[in-house]
Amino acid sequence: MARFRYQRRLGLRARVTAAFGLGALFTAALLAATTFGISREQLIRQRESSSSVPFFNNARIVQERLQAEGGVDALALLQDLQTASGSHPVLFYSGDWISTDPQFGEAALPASLRRAVLDGGAAQMRYSLDGEPELGFGISLQTADDDAAYFEIVSLDETASTLTSLGIILFGASVLATGTGAALGWWASRRALLPLTEVGSAAQAIAGGRLDTRLEAANDPDLARLTESFNEMAQALETRIARDEQFASDVSHELRSPLMTLSASIEVLKARKDDLDERASSALDLLVADVARFEQLVNDLLEISRLEAGAAELDLDPVDPSELVLHAVGAATSSAVPVQYDEEVAGTRILVDKRRMERVVANLLDNAAKYAGGATGVRVSLAEDRVRIVVEDEGPGVPEEVRQKIFDRFARGTEAGRRTKDRGVGLGLALVAEHVRLHGGQVWVEDRQDGRPGAAFVVELPAVIL
Amino acid sequence: MRQAGGVGTRILTVEDDERIRTAVKLALEDEGWDVAEAEDGEEALSAFNAQPCDVVLIDIMLPGIDGFEVCRAIRRESDVPIVMVTARNDTHDVVAGLEAGADDYLTKPFAPKELSARIRALLRRARTSDSRIDRLKFGDLEIAQDEGEVTLAGETVHLTKTEFRLLIELASNPGKVFSREVLLDRIWGYGYFGDGRLVDVHVRRLRMKVEPDPANPRHVVTVRGLGYKLAP
Repeated sequence: MARFRYQRRLGLRARVTAAFGLGALFTAALLAATTFGISREQLIRQRESSSSVPFFNNARIVQERLQAEGGVDALALLQDLQTASGSHPVLFYSGDWISTDPQFGEAALPASLRRAVLDGGAAQMRYSLDGEPELGFGISLQTADDDAAYFEIVSLDETASTLTSLGIILFGASVLATGTGAALGWWASRRALLPLTEVGSAAQAIAGGRLDTRLEAANDPDLARLTESFNEMAQALETRIARDEQFASDVSHELRSPLMTLSASIEVLKARKDDLDERASSALDLLVADVARFEQLVNDLLEISRLEAGAAELDLDPVDPSELVLHAVGAATSSAVPVQYDEEVAGTRILVDKRRMERVVANLLDNAAKYAGGATGVRVSLAEDRVRIVVEDEGPGVPEEVRQKIFDRFARGTEAGRRTKDRGVGLGLALVAEHVRLHGGQVWVEDRQDGRPGAAFVVELPAVIL
Repeated sequence: MRQAGGVGTRILTVEDDERIRTAVKLALEDEGWDVAEAEDGEEALSAFNAQPCDVVLIDIMLPGIDGFEVCRAIRRESDVPIVMVTARNDTHDVVAGLEAGADDYLTKPFAPKELSARIRALLRRARTSDSRIDRLKFGDLEIAQDEGEVTLAGETVHLTKTEFRLLIELASNPGKVFSREVLLDRIWGYGYFGDGRLVDVHVRRLRMKVEPDPANPRHVVTVRGLGYKLAP
């Protein structure tokens, strides 16, 4: 399993290289094996034929001598023979085995060869003696009185060492071919993948916000399609983002203009509220509340679309976290929410866009007000190198399964759909998450740490130690 | 009904949307200001030339000459406080408006009470220094506080009211570092969450006028991460 996964992880280049290497190895091994086999056969045949001529000559000489004279000194006869190098003569005569070298006597000849020859006839055989390859020749001789046979044992040692050298050379060549194949694969895949690497860098640049990044036109007809379609895609993307931005900007203008009229007119009406009768006055209250809600919605939507387009610019200031939270809580609520902060926070700063962090705190307080009967406290503390801002409430808490989901857009807790009098549109927490992420922090919801019922929304931001 | 505004303080509102213009005029009049109207850039400039006003409120998106251009045209002739109104709070619009010479900005939809507060802050006189020194000298930069006059190497420098107040604030305690927050509070009347870009762009504008080499400021110096100071 682990190995399988490892193989799956191999890159394209590694796989191409391995394929080239294996291909080269296979071809080289096949060639080497064939070459070796053919050469071996050839060499041994050569040795056989080169040894058989002197053997038959010697056999003829021995036969003639034995026929000519009686009581021959067999050993002297063998010693007089001209044998090829590495060749040992053996004579069977009058029931005795005679040889010039005691090592190469009767015992050095295989039984089957001896039997075949002594039965009358000639034979030759390849065999191994004490691990050494040998070639045995034998022929029965016709003499006047006795059975006789002449043998020669030819060592194939030289041939074997030649074959060993050849084997080593062929093995070396195979290794070299495999290495060359792999190197070729590495180089070829690099060449082939180079355009992809460029596409990758260009895509990365585009993702990083440099939307005008384009690939250089390729001369290679195989690559032209890739670069062309990539550039077309990049162009389409750039146009679309520009259009989206323009759209958001236009919508922003078109929505804010009537809101301006509404907001100014409401102000004029509010100044004369005392002159209105009861029914008109409560209608005005409704108008005021919903215009405010509408305004919040428009602002939130525009902020979201700006974040989406990556057009949000942070105006960063190093600020005292407790001071920021105190101001944000003060600006956000009319009812007093106690703010508690640890002493150790005093020495730290957070690098934030104050007005965006104000929205974060305000939205969390607003969320607590809408779903949990209001925040009961805000705590600021230090957790290692991060500053924590915790907004607690005494509401029903947030069930485990929706703790992620509530930070999605238009999520409205478990009671979504059951629209009561003053529920938000569900962008507040999504904005909190986006803003915090933009500041390199994290936000989550958990149970209260003191064991009391209710939820704790935790914002964690990197601290700048003074 | 008349409450907050100074009696007889005239505001010119430049806005092409008739409904907005009317609603804003009604609300501002309730706040106690005199309101003159203009529906485009040309009308604004001729109205301004015909009868000067105390504050100009300019919408950025105008047909014909846009808000930035109107702002620059008025700036060439006058140091009157200008408030830009934008329907987008993109950094680009805000900074471009301030660089065109606006003193402050508001994002639509704004509450008329908020606008009144902004106008009152801009109309405040430059705070008089505690130590009654008539003339302050910083190298070749001279500030005659009571006359409201600034000279650089003997030449008169024309500052807007807001730029002058910024310079005086810094000069009230030479060498002391003022944070953006403090300057926002003292000059624009903003609280903790005011927009620091107001200070940054005004410092930039001030440098263009009082620094021999604005790229390497000698008088109005940035103290990284802390704020600005006037080098003694």
